[in-house]
Parts: sequence; C-alpha cells; structure tokens
Amino acid sequence: MFKFLFKKERQVQELIFKYLDNLRKTQEHFEKAMDCYFDFGLGENCDFLIAQTHKFESRADDLRNDIIEMMYSKVLIPESRGDIFRLLESIDLILDHFEAVLFMIQGQKIEIPDFIVVDLREFIRVSLECCDLVIRQVEAYFKRTEDIKPLVSIIDSHESRCDHLEREIVSKIFDSDMDPFQKIQFKELVSQIGEISDQADHVSRSVYIINIKRRV
Amino acid sequence: MTSLLGGIFLGWSLGANDAANVFGTAVSSRMIKFWTAAILASCFVLAGALLEGQSGIETLKGLTRFTYNQAIIASIAAACTVTIMTLIGLPVSTSQAVVGAILGVGILNRQLNFAGLGKVVVCWVGTPVGGMVLAIIVYKLLAAIANSMNLNIFQSDILLRLCLIIAGSYGAYALGANNVANVTAVFVGAGMLSTSAAALLGGLSIGLGILTFSKKVMETVGQKLVRLDPFSALAVVLAQAVTVHIYALVGVPVSTSQAVIGAVLGVGIIKGVNTIRRRTLVNIFLAWFITPFVASVFALSIDFATHLRYIPG
Repeated sequence: MFKFLFKKERQVQELIFKYLDNLRKTQEHFEKAMDCYFDFGLGENCDFLIAQTHKFESRADDLRNDIIEMMYSKVLIPESRGDIFRLLESIDLILDHFEAVLFMIQGQKIEIPDFIVVDLREFIRVSLECCDLVIRQVEAYFKRTEDIKPLVSIIDSHESRCDHLEREIVSKIFDSDMDPFQKIQFKELVSQIGEISDQADHVSRSVYIINIKRRV
Repeated sequence: MTSLLGGIFLGWSLGANDAANVFGTAVSSRMIKFWTAAILASCFVLAGALLEGQSGIETLKGLTRFTYNQAIIASIAAACTVTIMTLIGLPVSTSQAVVGAILGVGILNRQLNFAGLGKVVVCWVGTPVGGMVLAIIVYKLLAAIANSMNLNIFQSDILLRLCLIIAGSYGAYALGANNVANVTAVFVGAGMLSTSAAALLGGLSIGLGILTFSKKVMETVGQKLVRLDPFSALAVVLAQAVTVHIYALVGVPVSTSQAVIGAVLGVGIIKGVNTIRRRTLVNIFLAWFITPFVASVFALSIDFATHLRYIPG
C-alpha cells in the first residue's frame, strides 16, 4: 500500500544486488585470470583477463558510490546507512585484494615454482569458496532466504583452512634453496592471497553483527 | 480579537516547542521531511483540539471565575512566564504556567476550586511516572512483535519510518487534545468564546506555531532522542503520546516534555543504561513549583499594574 513512498529504498536494494552480481563477476574473472596464469603463464590472454577483473572492480566502485549517494539522500535511518556503508567498504576490500594479487603477478613478472603450484591453487580455491559463501550470506541477509549464523561458522572454518595453507606454503618457500629475494617476493604474494579469505571472514562477521544489532 | 492575542501567542509558542516531542526524531534523522511532519502535526493537532480538547478546557475554566480582564491577564501572565523562563534557561511547562496564572486570578477572586487543582497537581506528578511505565510496556510489546518478524534491513527501516509517522501523528493528536486548554480555556471561563470556538482557535494557533517556528527545535530536541536508537525513540514517542492522550481524556493539560523525559527514563531502565541526567529530573521537580509560582506572581502584578491610577499631586 505504501510502496510509492519507499521507491528510493527499493532502488538502493536493487543497486546492492547489482553490486553483489558485479562482485561475483569480478571473482569469476579473477579465477579465470589465475587459472590462465597457472596453465599458460603471463601473456596476452592473461593480460586481458586481468584488465577485465580491473574493469569489474572499477564498476564496483561506481556502484558503491551510487548506493552511498542514494542512501544519503534521505533513504534509510542514519544507523542503517552507516551499517550498509561500512559493509560495502568492507566488501570492496575483497575486490581490492583480487586486483592487488593480479597486479603483483603482472607487474613483478612473478613465475611460480612448480613445487608450490598445487598448494597455491588449493589456497586460491578455498579463498574463493570463502568469497562465494560471503556473497551468499550477504544476499541471505538482504533477502532473508536463510539463516546467516551457520554461514558465519562455515566461512570461519574456511578462513582457518586458508591460514593453515598460507603457513604451509610460506614454510615450503623458506625450506627451498630459492634466491632470498624471490623468497620474500613469493611470501608477499602468498600473504596478499591470504588477505582475501581474511577479509571475507571480516565481512561475514560484520553481517552477523549488523543482524544481531537489529534484534531488540 | 486583540484581547485573544495572549492566548494565540501562547498557542504559537506551544506549537513551536512541543512539536519536537512528537516529530523531532523522524525529522532530525531526516527520515521524513520537515514540511511533511509540520503539515501532519498541525492537521492532527487541530483534529485533537476539536475532537477531544473540550474536557481539558472544562477543567481549567472550572478552577476559578474569570472576568473579561482577568482572562486576558491570565493568558498574558502565562505567555510572559513561558517566554521569560525560556530566555533565562529555567525549566518551564506551558500547562504549569497556565495553571499558575489561573491560580493568581483565583487568589484575586478569593475563590479557588481546590478539588480541581488537586486533580491537576496529581496529574503533573503522574505525567513523567506514566510516561516511564508506558515506555516499559510499549518497548516490551514492540520488541516482541519486531523480533517475531523476519525482516531485512530495508523492511525494518520502512516499518520503523511508518511507525514513527503514525506515532508522531498520534502524538500530535494527543498534544492538540491535551494542550489546547492551556491556550484558550481562560477565555471560555470569561465567556468570551464558546468551548468549540476555543478549541478551534487554540488548535489553529498551535498549528501555526508548528508551521512557522518548530523546525530548529525539532532538529535540536529530536537529536537528543535519536541518540537513544531509532527503536527506543519510537517507543518513547508512542509512550509519550499515549500518556498525554490519557490525560486529555481525564481532562488535565500536562507537559509533553515531562512525559518524554519519563519515557526516556523507562527505556533506560529496560536497557539498563542511565538515559537521563539527575539534573533533568531536578528540573522537572523545580518546574512543578517555580513555574506556577512565577505565573501567579505575574498575574497578580499585571492585575495590580492595570489598577494603578495617576493622581496628580
């Protein structure tokens, strides 16, 4: 009955879902770029996929700005605006980490040694699974399709698995007889990949807190 | 018409100040536009005054007998009390100022309805207490309903905004029904206006105050309520509206600000936090005594001044 009064709220909600779709696309391109890099190394195809990931990351920034601009034009109560603003900023850091990993590989012309490829692929797979779960959790929060609490613990266990893999890979790197400069370079790359699951876990906890804050 | 100016001014200042108690939260948090709130508030104030304002008018006019001049003196004394005490920063309530001024007139007439006066004073004490008790009940009830609904952030926000608009409109209705007596009851007592004309004039002058001068007060007073959290603010506005409406039915004009302070205290009790400073409570207590005393002194002084005659030496 009062739908006409809350047009802007619906528009913000639609923009948030667009933002989540865009996050999914950025993640897909990141995954494709990493697969291409592992399979064929740096080259034209990989550069194209990195550029595509960057394009979707920029699109995410535009969408985030649109959401914030609309939200602060008398939509939602101030507390909710603040919560959504902080949530979007937090999700945005995941995209920044995707981009940072790819730019590090591309800019520093990194070549992954064979003895860590399998572990690194597994590390990236679990990290991306974490992101999938976070997108599902954020959607569930906005659509009320499922309970978000169980997802928090699943994401947390994935993040722990990522931490374990990160430590294992770093240990393998420093056990090897690689050049010390390369060791530091790989360690930095692994830490940068580790940031993805750490940030996903952070977003998941933020969603959980926003949810329980609204219980009275 | 000029003889009614004191009452119109009182109504105008009442509207400018007290609208913040009903729509301050929604406006200061920019949930609804000022003009939407102001128009809704003035319409509902007028409706409240016309439909349920008579009972309070009957109580106040029954406190003493009024002559034409005494009605004007009472309204000017109340208006001066509210203005001066606000300017020097002392706690003040329009309802208490009007009763104080009537008390002054009663002293002049040597005729006071002590039973009616007792009822009014009991209701003054009952206002913050009632606000507090109702806030506890309203908060628990609303919390149970809100927690049973599986709403997302947008749905709960929309519901909260709708509830604030409805509670604000109801609060404005209760304000009109309860406080219109403060504005024009003395003129009914003097036979200058009929009860319904007094309700209409009072409602219109309160509405005028809301439309012309309530924006700043809504923004500043509202922010104090918003600091609670939107849900608690809704419970406060609703509890305040119900409290003031109950006293409108009883027929005693009370202070909406004191009802709000009681309600904020009630929410604080539920949440286990200290929402009200001791100083605010002391101010309410002081207002019960200082405001009627100052208004009586004003009424007596104005009456004395109007009877002074120049005798050439």
